[in-house]
Amino acid sequence: MAESSTAAPAADTTRPARGRRPRLPAWWPWGGGALLVLGCLGLQSQLYSGQERTVTTVFMFVALAAAWNLIGGYTGYACFGQVGFFGLGAYTTVILMVHARLSFWIALPAAAVVAAVFAAVIGLPLLRLKGHYFAVATLGVAEGLRELVTNVPRWTGGGSGATIPSTGDRAVTPWLGNDGFYLLFLGLAVVCAVVVALVSRGRTGYALRAVNQDEDAAAAMGVNTTVAKTVAFAVSAALTGAAGAAYAFQQVTIYPQRLFDVDITVLMIVMVVLGGAGTVLGPILGAAGIAIASEYLRQHLPEAHDLTLGALIIIAVILLPQGVVNFARDAVRTRDFSLLSNVRRYRL
Amino acid sequence: MSQFLQATVYGLLQGGLFALIAVGFSLVWGVMNVINLAHGSFVLVGAYLAFELNRRIGLDPFAAMVPVAAALFAAGYLVQRGLINLVVKAPIFITLLLTFGLNLLLVNGLILIYSGDYRSVTTGYAADGFALMSGVRVPVGRLLAAVVALLLTLALVAVMRRTRTGLAILATGMDRGAARLMGIRARHVYALTFGLAAAMAGAAGAAVSAVGTFNPADAGRFTLFSFVAAVLGGLGNMYGALIGGMVLGLVEAWGGQLLPGTLVNAVAFAVLVAVLAVRPEGIAGRAFYSSRVEV
Repeated sequence: MAESSTAAPAADTTRPARGRRPRLPAWWPWGGGALLVLGCLGLQSQLYSGQERTVTTVFMFVALAAAWNLIGGYTGYACFGQVGFFGLGAYTTVILMVHARLSFWIALPAAAVVAAVFAAVIGLPLLRLKGHYFAVATLGVAEGLRELVTNVPRWTGGGSGATIPSTGDRAVTPWLGNDGFYLLFLGLAVVCAVVVALVSRGRTGYALRAVNQDEDAAAAMGVNTTVAKTVAFAVSAALTGAAGAAYAFQQVTIYPQRLFDVDITVLMIVMVVLGGAGTVLGPILGAAGIAIASEYLRQHLPEAHDLTLGALIIIAVILLPQGVVNFARDAVRTRDFSLLSNVRRYRL
Repeated sequence: MSQFLQATVYGLLQGGLFALIAVGFSLVWGVMNVINLAHGSFVLVGAYLAFELNRRIGLDPFAAMVPVAAALFAAGYLVQRGLINLVVKAPIFITLLLTFGLNLLLVNGLILIYSGDYRSVTTGYAADGFALMSGVRVPVGRLLAAVVALLLTLALVAVMRRTRTGLAILATGMDRGAARLMGIRARHVYALTFGLAAAMAGAAGAAVSAVGTFNPADAGRFTLFSFVAAVLGGLGNMYGALIGGMVLGLVEAWGGQLLPGTLVNAVAFAVLVAVLAVRPEGIAGRAFYSSRVEV
């Protein structure tokens, strides 16, 4: 993946490197990431249109997983309503482009801002909840948003869907085409990964990890936990909202059932957890791995692909509960690469 | 007025069924701190088993509750022993993901076997009804389902409070470390708990098959209802789940009368979020396990 190598500095800041690790120049993750992005920039001309759409979907999930990682991975708040921000961004775009007839390039940042403001407003009461309660509350917000969108058809088209005019005179912004959306989602994925990398290295990243490990202790050490959590939630929502806006324009016609599908949230979580929560690289690897596996299964096992995906998730969760990146880091450090001893850690 | 009364009756009957589904979900959540996203698919497995028993040997769906519950108890025990116990000490996302994978597996397995078509089990009496008063009709099938659901829920509470096994489950839920030191086999107790929850879900599924149509995609709805009922009632509190289920049934029935379209769901979720933000311990009082020590 393009921006994968931006992860290494974050990994280093979370856990100081031991002396024997081979030294690489400090700029290599950024340089390597830039090289990979350049490679992806040339890739779209080499792919069939079907493959190109698959890779575009992978980029979207990289962006979504990176965004969820901020609130779920670093801060440790299991947000089960992330898809609410996705749908909110999508429907903000629809309303702005269809009713206000604004350009997509205004609607995209507007969608991010709307999602961020909404997250900050609901975050103030909801981020006081812990654990499962936060998970259920955010799930309730997302489901409530879906019902709301379904029931104001004058603005959103309701359950029968809304269409963004994308060709001819009625189009405020012409549809971007497969190549255009490839580049748009690549850009979004890069932005999300860079934002996460910067947050991870900065003061906020330390505050978020402190909140994750022990919120009371973090507060006692002078971390303003409310501000840190709300900022993480809002930034995560903004990135998700932007992805939703781009997805809405790509799909042209959108339906609330699809845009607020709880499965999208769960996919984000699966990707982050299996890749490695709280790392920059993990969600990127997880998103790419699962999106590609899912697409492969869809083509080769059309009947049973969800079933196989379920079985794979079960196996992966049992063997690698802390995610690929965290497992690899600990395994390298302790020289213990056995998956069985990994299972023993969490077994009852 | 009679329309309102009819909605109330319908809501209470539906609420009884919700309560039976939610009580197992709440038990697993309270005792093991596991949110079982596959709970709704257990309900459907129960419904399809009842459907199959009815088709093959003509068994009445309410009589089928017994073999269905037994089968799901065994399945639930094995799932907990073989899968969930392996990750029960990991962070909460992990068990969530595991049960999500299980849900995908079960729902899509059901779709493969039975397709996505709506099914139902028809009995001679379930659609009959009697008039409670002018304009208020009580369908026999739903009444039977609600009464059985209530009895099963109360029986579960009695088992938990009165029997050695029930007390072992409660003790393990309060403090797993201390329970193990007292000689309780936590692995076995967890598996029993999960088996009981699955059995309740299966019994509820058999009742669902008798009172209406169902298809594999309903699993998510049932899980969500149990979620809401369990939270409204307070985590792990079984009487709370009963009350939560009733409240949910009533809100759904009244909302369907008063509000256009599916806006009632939006209201239900708004109530849920408000309850969580203001009274996270649920409307029925404090959570059963207020001080949890994880060992």
